[in-house]
Amino acid sequence: MPSAHDDIAKAFGLEAVPESVHRLTQMIASRSGSIVEFGKLVSADKQLTARLLKFANPRAVDEFDYNITTVEGALQRTGMSVALLFAMTDPLVRAVLKTFDTMLGIKLETLPLSTPFQEDHVLGEVGFSGQANGKVQLRFPKVAVPVIGARLLGLEASDLEDPAIANDVVGELCNMVAGNFKSNLCDAGLPCTLKPPIITITGDFKLQSLEGGSSERYPFRSPELALFVDLAVNPWGG
Amino acid sequence: MPYKILSVDDSLTIRMLVKRSFKNFDCAVFEACNGEEGLAAAIREKPDLIFLDITMPVMDGVTMLTKLKENPDIKGIPVIMLTAESGRENVAYIAKLGVRDYLVKPFKDEQLIEKASRVLKLEPKPASA
Repeated sequence: MPSAHDDIAKAFGLEAVPESVHRLTQMIASRSGSIVEFGKLVSADKQLTARLLKFANPRAVDEFDYNITTVEGALQRTGMSVALLFAMTDPLVRAVLKTFDTMLGIKLETLPLSTPFQEDHVLGEVGFSGQANGKVQLRFPKVAVPVIGARLLGLEASDLEDPAIANDVVGELCNMVAGNFKSNLCDAGLPCTLKPPIITITGDFKLQSLEGGSSERYPFRSPELALFVDLAVNPWGG
Repeated sequence: MPYKILSVDDSLTIRMLVKRSFKNFDCAVFEACNGEEGLAAAIREKPDLIFLDITMPVMDGVTMLTKLKENPDIKGIPVIMLTAESGRENVAYIAKLGVRDYLVKPFKDEQLIEKASRVLKLEPKPASA
């Protein structure tokens, strides 16, 4: 049943809270419950179940090779924060696809795996803290910055030689992705606030870990752009 | 007399996007990069419409909105929030402070114009003599 808050959001023409966020809300609400109770919620989502079982059986070639075959077993092996991280995947992926399509007209596709960047690349990071702590990182090749600047603002490559402008363009995209994701966390019962974006050039492609939390990498592609989005989150960080 | 629109956002990119969106209309777009500057610009320019971000350094958008609504000289200026913040509780809180509309980033130029058109009767920019 929609709340008064939902009615206000509707009056402003805001999108409905995604179903995946409702599921996340239920999972967060049940975190103090038993692993069986938590497992029932995870089991209701086939994709989430499949990802969790795969993660709990890292050496298995296929599902016939799994040692751990139940959601409860997988949760005991991985911890509940991994299941929550996977449940957050949908809101994050939605935020990335929407931001790049709306602002740049770039239709990204998600990929299961992709070739890592071998060279220095752009890393945009936005942290969040509160009931949940973590960070969202966007990684793309340096050559993508002029493409993004041209698509977003019609800027010439020479305009983006000014690092302040290039960083602002990249930082705002990171902000939009992280802001939308963070709003979904708030709606799911994990209120938190964003930190200012940090933009760097790095050759370090390692997925960064977070104390007490879990990390995951999501590759995206379009003909114009290769992008990796890293999420590190500790849902019990607050 | 062209309309005055004030864009308050710490991102140069967003301020440039707002300016670009209204370039074909009879509007003058003013800019401020935080709530403190935004409040000063609102008092000085008395704009017809303000686009306001939330997360900004020095003074955030919610604080600026609260102060604006406390000032009888400028409290009637319509404010449209332009922000990546769409958490339902925060939206409801901001709505109670008194905003005309709410637009969540990411956004298209047309959405910005459509929201502004609900407040202002936008006319094309007159051809220069």
